[in-house]
Amino acid sequence: MLDGVDLDVAAGGYLALVGASGAGKSTLLSVIGGLEPAQSGSVVIGGQDLGGLSRRELATFRRETVGFVFQHFGLLEALTAAENIELACSLARVAPAARRAKVRDLLEAVGLADRARHRPVELSGGERQRVAIARALANGPSLVLADEPTGNLDDASTARVVTLLESLPADHGCTLVLVTHDLALAERASRRLRLRGGRAVEETVGASTPSGVVPSGVVPSGVVPASSPPTGRGMQERAAEPGETP
Amino acid sequence: MTWRDAIRLAARTVRRRPGRAVLTVLAVTLAAALLTALLTISTTAETRVLEQLSSGGPLAGIKVAAAAPDPGQVDQDNASPGAPKSLDDAALTQISELPDVREVVPIVSSKVYVITPARDRDNHRIGPFVEDLVGVDLTRVSQLPITPVAGRLPSPGATSEIAVTQGYLERLGLQRVDAPQVVGTALQVASPQVVADGGQFRVRGRWVKATIVGVVAQEAGDGQFLASAEMVAQARDWARAGIDESRDLKLSTSPYTGLFVVARGIDNVSKVRAQITAIGYSTSAPENLIASVRRYLHVVEIVLSSVGIIALVVAALGISNAMLAAVRERRREIGVLKAIGARDRDVYRVFLLEAGTLGFVGGVLGTLVGWAIAEAVGRVVNGYLAAQRLVGVQLTLPWTVVVGGIVGSTLLALLAGTLPAVRAARLPAREAVGGG
Repeated sequence: MLDGVDLDVAAGGYLALVGASGAGKSTLLSVIGGLEPAQSGSVVIGGQDLGGLSRRELATFRRETVGFVFQHFGLLEALTAAENIELACSLARVAPAARRAKVRDLLEAVGLADRARHRPVELSGGERQRVAIARALANGPSLVLADEPTGNLDDASTARVVTLLESLPADHGCTLVLVTHDLALAERASRRLRLRGGRAVEETVGASTPSGVVPSGVVPSGVVPASSPPTGRGMQERAAEPGETP
Repeated sequence: MTWRDAIRLAARTVRRRPGRAVLTVLAVTLAAALLTALLTISTTAETRVLEQLSSGGPLAGIKVAAAAPDPGQVDQDNASPGAPKSLDDAALTQISELPDVREVVPIVSSKVYVITPARDRDNHRIGPFVEDLVGVDLTRVSQLPITPVAGRLPSPGATSEIAVTQGYLERLGLQRVDAPQVVGTALQVASPQVVADGGQFRVRGRWVKATIVGVVAQEAGDGQFLASAEMVAQARDWARAGIDESRDLKLSTSPYTGLFVVARGIDNVSKVRAQITAIGYSTSAPENLIASVRRYLHVVEIVLSSVGIIALVVAALGISNAMLAAVRERRREIGVLKAIGARDRDVYRVFLLEAGTLGFVGGVLGTLVGWAIAEAVGRVVNGYLAAQRLVGVQLTLPWTVVVGGIVGSTLLALLAGTLPAVRAARLPAREAVGGG
C-alpha cells in the first residue's frame, strides 16, 4: 500500500528506494513499471500516463520502455541464457538475425558470451543476474527497475552486478530505479528515497546526508534537482492524498 | 511473440517437468491407444463379416445376367431376370468402360450330363443327371464370389479338372465336413449334341473324364460344377454344333452366360447397377443385405468409439488438471513474462501450445500403441481361426483412425488447455515481484 508518494525522477537519474520489508518499495516499483495500477493518483513515465493505458498498451509500455531486474532473477529455467534474452527481443518482434546479433552483443557486454548456451540452473547467482540485466536491456529501455538485485548474491557477485547496473545511466542513457535493503549500495545512488508504511519519509540527494523527514509524506519539489525535467525520459509519480480526487 | 518462439517455449517447458509430462502424455496415450485398437478391430471385424456375406468375393461385386432387366425387380438384391438377351463382347466393353467399374469377369456355362461312381447313403448307385458346368477365367478367381472349402480350384486352362459345390455333396447325401471325401474322385462329364437321324433327333455326347480337385462355395453362376472357361467353351462349342440347340437343351445363344462386375467401392454398387440396367441387363448384388449388416456393425463401431472417446475425455481432464496446477506453480514465471512485455495472448498461446503438445505426443504414441495392441489381438484371433481351419483376418488400420486419433487427441487437449491458458493470461503482471 502506498500513500501520498509524490516523486519526480529525471531522465538518466539513479534513484535508490530503501526501507524495511513491507514499506512499499516493491509496490512502488511495480506501479512505476506498469505491473500494477495505482488505485488513485497518476503515474507518468516519459510523458505517458499509465492510468490511461489498456492491458495491451501496458504490455507494449513494459516491452519498449522498461527493463526489469528481479531479486529472483526471473529467468525462464527451460531456456538458455541466450534464449532468455532472445525471448524479450521476440516479444518485440525483432527479426531473427538482428535478435541473434543483439543477444551476442548483450552477452558480451555483461561478460557472459561463453555462457550463452547454459541454462540458468547451470549458472551462478551472479551470472544469472547479469543475464537478467542483459535481458532487461534487450529492447533498449529508457527505464530500468531493479528489485533487490543483489539480495541473493555473494559479495563478489554483488560488486560486479552493482558496477554493471550503475553503468547503465551513463552507457545506455536510461534511468535506474533500484530497490535495496543494502544501505551501502543505496549510498551510491544519486538520490535515495526512504519509505515507511507506504509513505515517503526521507529523501537524500547526492551525498549520503539525509535531507530531512518529510512531514506530509509528500516529497517536496525542492528536493528534485532543478535540472530535472518533469516529463520526457524521466518519470513522475504522485499518489493521491487520502480524500483527494485523483 | 511469434508462433515459432511460442512453440519452442512450450516444448521446452513441457520437457522441463518430465514426470508430470510423462504421466499426462501416458493418460492421453492410453486413451488414444484404446480408441485406435477398438476402431481397428471393429473395422477389421466389419470387413470380415461382410466378406463372409459375399462368400469370399469382393463386396462391390455385381452379377449381370444375359437377360433384360425386369422393371419390377430392379431394386431387389436377387432380381429375377427378364427376357433373355445376348451378352456379347460389345456389351462387355460397354460395361467395362463405365467410370465406376473396376473389373469385369465374364462367366460361361453349359448343360452337361454327369455320371458319378459315388453311391448315396443307402449304397445305391446315383444315376446320370443333367447339371450346369460353370466356367470362369481361373486366373481372376480372386475377383469372384468363389471360396474353396476343401481341396483346391481347377488349374487355369485345365480341361479335365473340376470343382464341385455343396449342392453336389447334398446330392450324394454328404455334409460340408465330408467335403474332403470327394476330392480326388473322378466323374464322367458329357456335353450333349442334338443331331438329326432320319427324321428323328438323337443326342450324342462328348465324354470327358474329369477329376474333382476341390469343393467350393460359389455364386458366380448357377451350377454344381466349376471348371476353367476353356473347358466350358469346348462343351458349348460341341453342343452348338448340333441342331435345335436352344429348345431341347435350352442352350443360350449368348456368348456369355453372365458377367461379374466389380465396382470401385461398395458405395458405387447402386450407381453401377443403375448404369448397367440402363444399358439393358438384369443385375443382382447383395447391397441391401450388406447395407443392413453395415448399419448394425456401425452401431457396434459407435459403441466402441464411445468407450475410446470417454477415455480421451478423461485424459483431457487430466491435461486440464495438470495445466491448472502448472499455472498455480508458475505464477511468478507468468508475471516475469508479462514484465518483459508479453501480452495476454502471448501467455495464452504458450499455455495452449503446451496442452496441444501433450495431446499431440499422446495421440501419436497412442495410435502406435493401439495399432500394436490390435496386431497382438489379430495374432491371437488368427491363431484361433487357423486352429478351426478358417482363413485368418488381415488387420486394416484406416487412415481416418490414424488422423482422427492424432488430430482428435490434439484438439481435445487444446480444448482442455483453454481454461488454464485463459487463467494464465489473466494473471496480473505484479506476480513477477515479491512484496516489500
